[in-house]
Amino acid sequence: MLGRIIRHEWTNLAADRTVWVLAGLMALISLYGVYNGATWSAFQRENIAMALDEERDRLAGHRAFVESGQEPASRFRNPLSPDSVGGSMGRRYAYLPPAPLAPLSVGQSDLYPYYFQVSTNSKQSFLNTHELENPSNLLSGRFDLAFVVVYLLPLLILALSYDLLSSEREQGTMAMLLSQPLPLWTLALGKIALRALVVLALALGFSLAGYTAAGGALASMDALLLWMAVVAAYSLLWFGLAVAANALGKGSATNAMLLAGIWLVVVVITPAAVNLVVTTSYPIPSRVELVQALRTATEDANARSAEVLSQYYTDHPEYLPEGEQPDPNDFTLRSYAVREDVERAMAPVLERYDGQLLRQQTLVNRLKWLSPAVVAQEALNDIAGTGLARYQHFLGVVDRYHDELRSYFIPKVSARATMTTADYDAIPVFEYQEESFGEILGRVSAGIVGLALPMLLAFGVGARILRSYPVVG
Amino acid sequence: MLKATDLTKTYNGVAALDRLNLEVAPGDVFCLLGANGAGKTTTINLFLNFIEPSGGTAQVNGLDVTRQPLETKRWLAYIPEQVMLYRHLTGLENLDYFTALSGTDHYPPDQLRAFFKQVGLQDGVADQRVSTYSKGMRQKVGIAIALAKQAKALLLDEPTSGLDPKASNEFSRLLQRLSGEGVAVLMATHDLFRAKESGTRVGIMNQGQLKQTLTTAEIGHADLERIYLEQMHD
Ligand SMILES: Nc1ncnc2c1ncn2[C@@H]1O[C@H](COP(=O)(O)OP(=O)(O)OP(=O)(O)O)[C@@H](O)[C@H]1O
Ligand SMILES: [Mg+2]
Repeated sequence: MLGRIIRHEWTNLAADRTVWVLAGLMALISLYGVYNGATWSAFQRENIAMALDEERDRLAGHRAFVESGQEPASRFRNPLSPDSVGGSMGRRYAYLPPAPLAPLSVGQSDLYPYYFQVSTNSKQSFLNTHELENPSNLLSGRFDLAFVVVYLLPLLILALSYDLLSSEREQGTMAMLLSQPLPLWTLALGKIALRALVVLALALGFSLAGYTAAGGALASMDALLLWMAVVAAYSLLWFGLAVAANALGKGSATNAMLLAGIWLVVVVITPAAVNLVVTTSYPIPSRVELVQALRTATEDANARSAEVLSQYYTDHPEYLPEGEQPDPNDFTLRSYAVREDVERAMAPVLERYDGQLLRQQTLVNRLKWLSPAVVAQEALNDIAGTGLARYQHFLGVVDRYHDELRSYFIPKVSARATMTTADYDAIPVFEYQEESFGEILGRVSAGIVGLALPMLLAFGVGARILRSYPVVG
Repeated sequence: MLKATDLTKTYNGVAALDRLNLEVAPGDVFCLLGANGAGKTTTINLFLNFIEPSGGTAQVNGLDVTRQPLETKRWLAYIPEQVMLYRHLTGLENLDYFTALSGTDHYPPDQLRAFFKQVGLQDGVADQRVSTYSKGMRQKVGIAIALAKQAKALLLDEPTSGLDPKASNEFSRLLQRLSGEGVAVLMATHDLFRAKESGTRVGIMNQGQLKQTLTTAEIGHADLERIYLEQMHD
């Protein structure tokens, strides 16, 4: 019987020209979204490739100079000096490569720098973490496929199902249908099932098309499946809401108003309210304060530079070449000592700053369950590798690389060594270690549960109200 | 086959149907007469479980319609005053769909077409979209749907409204045939003449109450009209 209803609904739907127009429009919009996302991640890849080319040529130039045995022209830009090469001359790029599904969701990836120039210089000099926006950007950004899924797909779903039962009542066929041994619930289910099949076929088809068009590899098929699971759970939630609204037995116009209201609350108002709560609960300290603290810390460290250097020797016995005595007049090493002292002094200030961002993110993670739209958006970003979690993971990788560079160069600085070609070849190379799929899976699964629960609730409430559905009158 | 026991429906304390007791046996054609708002449609809707009774029970083949709505609907066929169909589908497609939902065995297309012929729809009509049908033609499709269902009981709410006299006459004969086959019929109508012609019994309702029941074989047309009008006076 269910199959017969589904077949019948297909003829109904196929005969409706507006459905085809809507589907066509959705196709165009989706393709535009994927095009946008693909353009952005191609742009990122290109920039990273260009940066790496520049880095390779620059270092090859320095290495060739060393090989030639020429005398350096300047003491400060000296390819033979580990101080110069570890500093800006030999700066290396640490980059976050776009994940395979990045073309599907730009997410927050256009808010944050996706590559840094790392050297032995202080962290503050390259990490521009303080440009981090407030989370109001959580639910906005580029027009990408994730945007289409989160904002527009619900509208297509509601357009197809706001009059699921009310139309039958209004055209008088409901009494004809229910005079047959047909449970109302089966009727609603059949009608929803066909629409869900159509919408999911469209949404999943566009995701797959976009993914392949953007050069997605089959190897990341599991991510694509996860993406589809989120889209399915989110879509079914909206179908559930449409069923629940129809179960009330009101007219089509009332249903349309009610569902549009729900859309507004879930997709627009709640996310905005969450942002407001988050930013007022944990306001970001002013940047001026940060700059001020940095200046004070630097002045202070410079004033105490002798003491700072001796402390540095104590802290890093490994930087002192074997058999040598600490040299209190090593001005080069003193600048490294000052850098580290400033970093230490800045740590609590930065913690207040970064910690506040972290607290904001924690609160967002707690409040996001209020709006399935936020849950879906976050999950899609996570899968596309454009969410905050992967970014923070990236910052950790950069941090470790920074330490690695320092441990490589500073002992050579302290030993007043000269860079050889072998030293050039041994400079640590940045390698991005991807998050494990398990971690992503964990976060996204929580999101899917967060979508499935309200979905089941909507269908459950709908089924409950449907029992007292007014067939006539 | 159809049995109402103290069947009552009140809306905001006002009884639309007041303790109806009624039995329609197989082969009976029971015609409900009564003024507008007398409670005829309410009675039929109660048998279909479209509305919940405020008191009493409605039974089909011994089963309470509120307890076993699906089983009882298997035995019922319903023709409303306005048969509404899917306008963009052909008559045949409508018949096919509703018949499929009725739980009867699947009919091949030529058998479905035979139902169209039976209810007096010309060849070719079956393949036209319902949006091109007249009201009477839609009623006839409704009758075809009921026939295809092979129901044990018919619930008819002014089924011949909009039918031309010839079609109306044919419908009366169809009812007689079905009655002969043991189908129980409960029909609300305003047509005293048809009620006398095709009904085995008539019940006169007024303000939610069944006032009087008559056997059509025992009275003439004139008597029926006189009694009806008398009942309306109270
Ligand atoms: N949903 C409702 N709410 C309130 N009153 C109702 C409702 N449905 C029916 N009624 C009342 O119930 C009474 C019986 O109505 P019903 O439709 O059964 O009359 P009827 O005999 O079929 O009349 P008609 O010949 O006009 O079809 C009427 O007074 C009507 O106003
Ligand atoms: Mg009526």
